[in-house]
Amino acid sequence: MKNILHILCIFGLILLLSGCWDRVEVNDLAIVTAAAIDIKDDNQIELSLQVFIPKALSTGGGQGGSGQGGGGAATLVRSQRGSNISDALSKLQSKIPRKVFWGQCKVFIFGEKLAKQGIQEHMDFLLRHPQPRERAYLYVSKGNPKDALEVLPPLERYSGEVLRELSDLHIGMQVTMQDVQEGLVGVAQAGAFPFIKILPPGKGEEKLQGIPYIVGTAVFKKDKMVGTMSEKATRGILWLRNEMEAYTVILKPEGVKGEVSLNPVSARIKLIPQIRNDKWKMLVNVDTEGAVVQNGTNLALTSPKSIQTVEKAYQEDIKDRIELAIQQAQHKMKADIIKFSKEFYRKYPKEWKKVENRWDEVFPKVEVEVNVEAHIRRQGYINKPGGLPEKEVKKQ
Amino acid sequence: MEKGKISSLQMAIMMYPGIVATAILSVPSITAKYAKTDFWLSPILASLIGYMTVYIAYKLHKLYPKQTVIQFSEQIIGRFAGKIIGFLFLVFYIQITGNMLRQYAEFVVDSFLVNTPISLIIALMALLCSFIVRGGLEALGRAAQLFFPIFTLPLLFLIILVFPDFEFKNIFPILGEGMMPPIKGAIVPGGWFTEFFLITFFLPFLTDQKKGMKYGMMTVFVVMMTLVVVNLIVLFILGLATSFKVYPLMSVGRYISLGGFFEHLESAVMAIWVVGAFIKISVFYYGIALGTAQWLNLSDYRPIVWSLGILLVIFSFWSLPSTVELHKYSVGTFPLLGLLIQMIIPLFLLGIAVMRKRKRQGSE
Repeated sequence: MKNILHILCIFGLILLLSGCWDRVEVNDLAIVTAAAIDIKDDNQIELSLQVFIPKALSTGGGQGGSGQGGGGAATLVRSQRGSNISDALSKLQSKIPRKVFWGQCKVFIFGEKLAKQGIQEHMDFLLRHPQPRERAYLYVSKGNPKDALEVLPPLERYSGEVLRELSDLHIGMQVTMQDVQEGLVGVAQAGAFPFIKILPPGKGEEKLQGIPYIVGTAVFKKDKMVGTMSEKATRGILWLRNEMEAYTVILKPEGVKGEVSLNPVSARIKLIPQIRNDKWKMLVNVDTEGAVVQNGTNLALTSPKSIQTVEKAYQEDIKDRIELAIQQAQHKMKADIIKFSKEFYRKYPKEWKKVENRWDEVFPKVEVEVNVEAHIRRQGYINKPGGLPEKEVKKQ
Repeated sequence: MEKGKISSLQMAIMMYPGIVATAILSVPSITAKYAKTDFWLSPILASLIGYMTVYIAYKLHKLYPKQTVIQFSEQIIGRFAGKIIGFLFLVFYIQITGNMLRQYAEFVVDSFLVNTPISLIIALMALLCSFIVRGGLEALGRAAQLFFPIFTLPLLFLIILVFPDFEFKNIFPILGEGMMPPIKGAIVPGGWFTEFFLITFFLPFLTDQKKGMKYGMMTVFVVMMTLVVVNLIVLFILGLATSFKVYPLMSVGRYISLGGFFEHLESAVMAIWVVGAFIKISVFYYGIALGTAQWLNLSDYRPIVWSLGILLVIFSFWSLPSTVELHKYSVGTFPLLGLLIQMIIPLFLLGIAVMRKRKRQGSE
């Protein structure tokens, strides 16, 4: 009798294993794949969500890929205004029959206008809510960020995926929520976001088939956007932050016609802060290597001398890029997005303490010295300029 | 009263999650607030308190080998005063165990079971722990042994998985503002280290009593190392943002992304936490049950386990209205209270006991 009672008790406990009140079925969830936040003229926030449609996946891709995958979109976009994100979200919930789930949302896009007014309040929601991830990517878009969600990219399933893939390729800056929080509360109090735009659809493609892509960098001081940087300057910033990957360098060696292209390029950057006699100086040591991918000159890159010419051009080019980026950050934006402050703080905590409150003024005055060490290691499958008769090759 | 025996290794395995379980979750954030980038040094300083506590507990045990603090305090300072001290200990332990239950449940509700009533989570945990406490010391020791790998392995995995994201430079500047910040940061983990006094309830039941001291000290060392490693992981990932997180280790667990598909591993942190909290609460619960029975001169502690469980659940609500109060309590009250009850009072008892022994020897 007692045994039966025990067994009954154990079976009774099974009922509790379902997770009680918080049981959630996947088909009750609206999985958000990307979100856009912008501010409207009446000072209201507009929250747009790109929600994944599971039905589209099963019917579109299943039947052996019939052309456009059934033509249906894999996501839908809904937006709603409200006084802040949580307000807009609660109103938006009434337009979506399933419960909004942030756990898979890896893309958050802020509108340019909102970014200029400050994002602190909105970051608070994203960081406080237990569902959004620390590793989610953040972007600032030119114009209305909702457009970036509404486009139907031809290659990927939805536009959020496009942005995420682009970020993973290190095309522009790769900025996660964790980076932003550390940038805003840490010593630098400045941040950089990838700046996106919509690439218009190509010929023969349908109207909405553009994709969002990264065109540069939005620079933030504290939580407010102060300006943008061009793609070229962004590359320089990427070099400085050691985030350089997948990138082609094009050089014009001295004394010859044409260009030499290098890819892949790898680099190691060392930032060495120095304080001497109250003068703040940053030594930027760059050690970079590349392989030749295209040679449009008549130089045969087999002789040490011609390699030297190219290496010199390489060195100059990198130096110019980095100096351009530093110049822009230091004097145009006056925002420390290259994390000089962190380096100074780590090496000179006592001196740092003194300038902590007026780093804004000190940062543009920091002297920068760039030393580049550039090498070419490989030249690919041919050792002379391709398609050029032997006698036209310049020998050195 | 307790007929079971455990080995000193089992005691160590029980005490390890008993301290670490709650200390790895919220303490890094509190320490980071005071010590900035030096918060990994704080556990090393705080562990000194742990060594001292174990030493005091062991010396008292040496003088009264068959008794726990509830019994020998009566022998040292007389029946009446001893009962008062014993009562203080019991109330303190009931209160902090109630606290642990609350902390456990708050974390579960905060991150996973948002809609589940917190009372249910607390009550279920208390129920589970009462089963094991009723099972006796041997059952508790075995359970701790069984769960030990579940508790430690995810922690090791976590280190390997977040390794690619480490930014080692976050450790600088080391001691940028002198020794004071890490010392200030050590106060809170110091409170956790005083909990080692709980071994007083286990020392009388060891099969190899001579090794008690050695294993006690070893546990303090291992706990210290664990806390240092956890603090370093958190520092390398979160940097200066650590003090902004309520559960830094959880944030680190969520940050894992290996090869783009090995993601969302917060459940590993959750596993550490639930198993750890289970062992921790059971260990304290056992101490309370045994102590109360001894205080009341009962012949067995098992009948009172259920009623004590209800008391624990009630204390988990009474003592704290919100997570804000919980945080305030962990920072302000607990370290001082813990130090007073678990180190200064035992030290005082030890002083009197040693003097009395000398006097007795002198008169003979």
